[in-house]
Formats: sequence, structure tokens, C-alpha cells
Amino acid sequence: MMGTDGQGSSWLGARIGWDAIRATLSAQRVARRNFSHFLGGITLLLFLLEVGSGVLVLLYYRPDVAQAHASLERIVGEVPYGDLIRNVHAWSSDLLVLSLVAHMFTVVVRGSFRSPRELSWWSGQALLVLCIGLAFTGAILPWSQEAYLQARVGSELARYVPFVGNWLHHFLRGGDEVTSSTLQHAFGFHVAALPAAVTALIFLHLFFVQRRAATTPRDDDAPTMPVYPDFLVRQAAAWTATFVVVMTLAIFAQRSVGVAADPRLPSVVGARPPWYFLAFHHVVRVAPRDLLGMDGARFLVAAMCGVGLAVVALPLLDRRGSRLTAYLAWIFLLACALLSAYALT
Amino acid sequence: MSNDDRAPTAPRRDFLGMAVGASATAVAAAIGYPVARFVEPRPMPSSGPTLVGKVEDFALGTGKTVLVDEKPVLLLRSADGHFRAFSAICTHLQCVVGYSAERNQIECPCHKGVYSVEGVNIAGPPPRPLEELVVSVREGSVIVSEA
Repeated sequence: MMGTDGQGSSWLGARIGWDAIRATLSAQRVARRNFSHFLGGITLLLFLLEVGSGVLVLLYYRPDVAQAHASLERIVGEVPYGDLIRNVHAWSSDLLVLSLVAHMFTVVVRGSFRSPRELSWWSGQALLVLCIGLAFTGAILPWSQEAYLQARVGSELARYVPFVGNWLHHFLRGGDEVTSSTLQHAFGFHVAALPAAVTALIFLHLFFVQRRAATTPRDDDAPTMPVYPDFLVRQAAAWTATFVVVMTLAIFAQRSVGVAADPRLPSVVGARPPWYFLAFHHVVRVAPRDLLGMDGARFLVAAMCGVGLAVVALPLLDRRGSRLTAYLAWIFLLACALLSAYALT
Repeated sequence: MSNDDRAPTAPRRDFLGMAVGASATAVAAAIGYPVARFVEPRPMPSSGPTLVGKVEDFALGTGKTVLVDEKPVLLLRSADGHFRAFSAICTHLQCVVGYSAERNQIECPCHKGVYSVEGVNIAGPPPRPLEELVVSVREGSVIVSEA
């Protein structure tokens, strides 16, 4: 594409000033690290896949309790490549949560949340909250028996959040009860409000991450590499690998659309939340009715909110980079994995 | 001297900065408040007493779930023909309960909660009895209304 004299002799290169862009990117250096350094980029790609496949699904989906599930069945069963596109949407969302959590976990273990990178951390936390919102609203849209149940139980647990619980409960349901308004509300947030907010925050997050690269990284003794070509080539390899995983899952592992919701039917026996809420759900399920004078479930939700606030406040709580934070993160991860495995048995 | 020259401009700059900040806040509030009020879900008006079927639609000694204002309501008809209606929403985590004719009780399949046919929580995690609704029969029609 480029002339060897570096004058940007290609047609496009001359018009976009490629030589100047390349010089900037080559001059900027990032730490040469392991795989974990590419998790943020992988998360970004998965979000883009969600947007792309979501826009396509939107062409046929009908946000109406009487038609939602049938429209999804039509997408999967009749529309050419509908099952593939819907599978990409469903699998990417799971992988998005996975890579987001992995990204956050490695940041904690590396201690990269510390000053002067607080803004990167907080914008990342805001992205995590919005992505949970996307997952919650997205799970409602198929309006299957499972979706209906998740809307009921998920919003009910939100009621136990201290101080804002009742408001959150009402807001998530789009009213006091899980009804057609819930679906309408979830639809608007899932396809418009939340994706727009996430997109804006991604730019902010990338901006903060970029700026802190210009300040003094804590581990500046680590070897570095130029952003172009070394870092971007590696990131492109990580993107390719992610894309291959998504497509393999989407082609070979069909995602069920369930049966249409009928609020008159009793809930399914042994219903489970999505995998990332398994540990939490299990703890709440086995909670005693009374815990330290409080309703057991309410107590545990409040405790989880406390943990969440501590995680957000990490840059303030751990200024120096104690090993304790990394150990606690490992213990938390292992506990969640064990509880999830136990909940499945 | 140069310090003296700059001195009067500093408060002026501060004032202008504050004015811009205050205006921006006012604009944000003027946009944000109506948007927040708009987004907040509206309370759903209750449709009042709801006709859920004819008496003969409900066999003696059975339970049937119907929708009242889009909410599941469990209607029980005893062997002597008496009607009772309960919100079919479990008081534990809000799963939908069902009537078991075999065991003559109301059961929540999610976490094995059990209620008597009087709606009283008798086993499992439910903390409270089911909410009861009022049933009336008029000219062969079964009507359910909020208590």
C-alpha cells in the first residue's frame, strides 16, 4: 500500500495523510505484555459484533408480547441465515460478559487501576454496569417462559438493593408488574439508550486509557513495543481468534429460543439464571430467612452491593498496590467458580 | 507591574467561568429533568373487576390460572363449588406458582415453596402468604377484583 520512500504514494494513503498517522502510531509505545493486554480490545470487538448482529435481528423482531417470541422463531427458522445471526448475537453476548470480567480481573491483579489511572477504572466500571443492563434487557426480549421468569426474579432481587431498591424494581419492570410495558421498556433500552451510552463511554474509556499511557505507568520497567505495527498486529491476531471462536460456536452450537411466555403457567422446575449470575443466585437461594436480624436475601444483596462499591472505590482503598488486592480477587473468582459449579449440581 | 496588570482579569475570568458552568448546569437540568420524568414508568391503571370466565369453565376441586391486568391469578374452586383467588406470584422471589390437584396444595416450582389452599405459606422459602383477591359470581360469570 505504501511506497518504500515513505511518501504515502498510494491513492488512499496520500488522501488521508497515512504517513503522519503511521509516524504518530510508531512513536507511541505500549508495554510488551502477555495475552491479558488484549482483553480490552477483544471486548470491544465483541461489542461491535453485538451491534452488528443486533441491528440485523432488529429488522425482523417485534417488540410486542403477542408477537415477540413468534418473530424470534421466524428469524431463527425462516429468515436466511437467521439462526446464524441470532446465534452470533447470543454467543457474543456471553463471550462479551466473559471477556469484560476477565479484562477487569487482570486489571485488578496487575494493579492497573491505581493512580493515575482512576478514570480508566471508573469508566470501565460504568461500562460493566451498562453491559449488565444490556444483558438483563436482552434476556427479556425473546419473551419466552425463561425470559418472563428472569424478568420477574431479576427485578425482584433488585428490590433488595439498599436505598434505591424500590425505584430500581419499578424501573426495571417498566411499572409495578412484569407486563407488556416491561417488554416495551426493555426493548427501548436494549436497542437504543444503552448501546448509545456504551458507545459514548467506550470512546471516553479509550481516551482515558490513551492519556494514562502518556503519564508514568507503574510498571515502566517493562519492555515496550510501538503501537504500530507490533501492538496492532498482535491485537488483530487476537481479534481474528475471537471471531473464529464466535463463528465456530454460532455455527455448531445452536442457542434455544425456548417456548413462548405464558404468565398463567407455573414457572419451570429448577429454573436457572444466566451463568454469570449462578453463584449469586445460589447464595440467595440458600439464604436463611433471617440473617443478623435482616431478611436473608435482602442481607446478601446488600452485602453484594457493598462488595460492588468497594470494587468501584479500589483506586481509593488501595493506593500503593498491595498484594492483598490480587489475592482477594483470586479468592473471589475461585469462590464464584465453586458456587456456580455447585449450583449446577 | 505585570502582576498588577493581570490582577483585575483573574476575578473576571473566574466570574465568566462560573457563569458558563452555571449556564451549562441549568441547560443540563432543563433537559435532564423532563427526560428523567418521561423515562420513569407510568403506573398501570387497574381495569377494576375483571370477568375471567363462566362458572362452568372451572371444574369442581381444581385450580386454574387466569390473567387479571396481565398478572397471573390462581383461581381455586373447591369440591363444594366455592371460589377463592390468589395472586399466583410466589412471595419468595416472584416465580409463578401452580395448583397441584394431586397434593391439594399450591406449589412454587422454582425453590420448592408450598402454600395451603388457603394461600398460607406452609413449607419452603416463602416468607408470607399469597395475596388474596376477591371473587364474585354474577349471573354465571366469575369476576375477580383486587381486595
